[in-house]
Amino acid sequence: MGTLETLIAGHPFLHGLSSEHLKILADSAMQSNFQAGELIFRDGDPANRFYLILDGKVAIEAAGREQSELPVQTVGAGDVLGWSWLFPPYYWHFDARALEPVRAVFFYGTRLREQCEQDHHFGYELMKRVTQVVIRRLQATRGQLVEAALKSGAGSR
Amino acid sequence: MRDEHLDILAECAAAQTIEPGTVIFRENELADRFFLILDGRVELETRGNKHEFPVQTVGAGEALGWSWLFPPFRWHFEAQARERTRVIVFTAAHLLVACERNHDFGYELMKRVAQVVILRLQSARRHLLDANWPSRSPDETRTTPPTTGNLWAPLKR
Repeated sequence: MGTLETLIAGHPFLHGLSSEHLKILADSAMQSNFQAGELIFRDGDPANRFYLILDGKVAIEAAGREQSELPVQTVGAGDVLGWSWLFPPYYWHFDARALEPVRAVFFYGTRLREQCEQDHHFGYELMKRVTQVVIRRLQATRGQLVEAALKSGAGSR
Repeated sequence: MRDEHLDILAECAAAQTIEPGTVIFRENELADRFFLILDGRVELETRGNKHEFPVQTVGAGEALGWSWLFPPFRWHFEAQARERTRVIVFTAAHLLVACERNHDFGYELMKRVAQVVILRLQSARRHLLDANWPSRSPDETRTTPPTTGNLWAPLKR
């Protein structure tokens, strides 16, 4: 097993993935580190990377007024980052910024999509994992929406 | 979607008409069904202290219900028909088994689910930003992602 393969095999998102599929991923994986405060991607830029976070915290943000940043979510070690590479129009919807030194591995989105289309066993495993994480985040975000409505007193009938 | 995959779906599908006010599923109940809405309107809600809080409204051409995909297989929200609603309902266990047995089918289904839930997550995050920072100026607020209804259109042969 190569270094990258070992690194990604230990990431919770890929837990239980076969060595064959890990090898497919490792072949197109790149290590990438960010300093605290560094922008990882920007709202509106082309989205072609999928990140596995190994260490450190990342803030997903939206641009607010007068250069202020509005926090959307924080992700950290063991999480994944970035979905916009999966489907057209392939542009990031938010900013992602390292809150502390971040160690990550990324895969090129175009390559991943090709590999999914070529090998549906691989594609199924990857999509199943993506779906699970996104559904959990969706449920959590909806929960936050309800809390926000409760706080403001709106929404009650 | 290919005919053979539509056949798998058809094996566990049933048409159903739901009267306005009917609760389709309740929070924490076993999530064993997946719905495609043909027409009508369904509101996703959660129960706060005595009150119901709207989470999202789904309508014609949209899919409803994701909690059957992953443990703990319990609904996160309540779904109630707001209008007379026609749906196709699928048996979740059948879909899950079919996905595991046939990864071509599994990939196709998961890819579609992933796309819908990613769009909903992006939309929910925008709503959350609007709820927490109502003063965000309009030019900073993006339009809601396009409807996902067309994704499922090929199902209506």
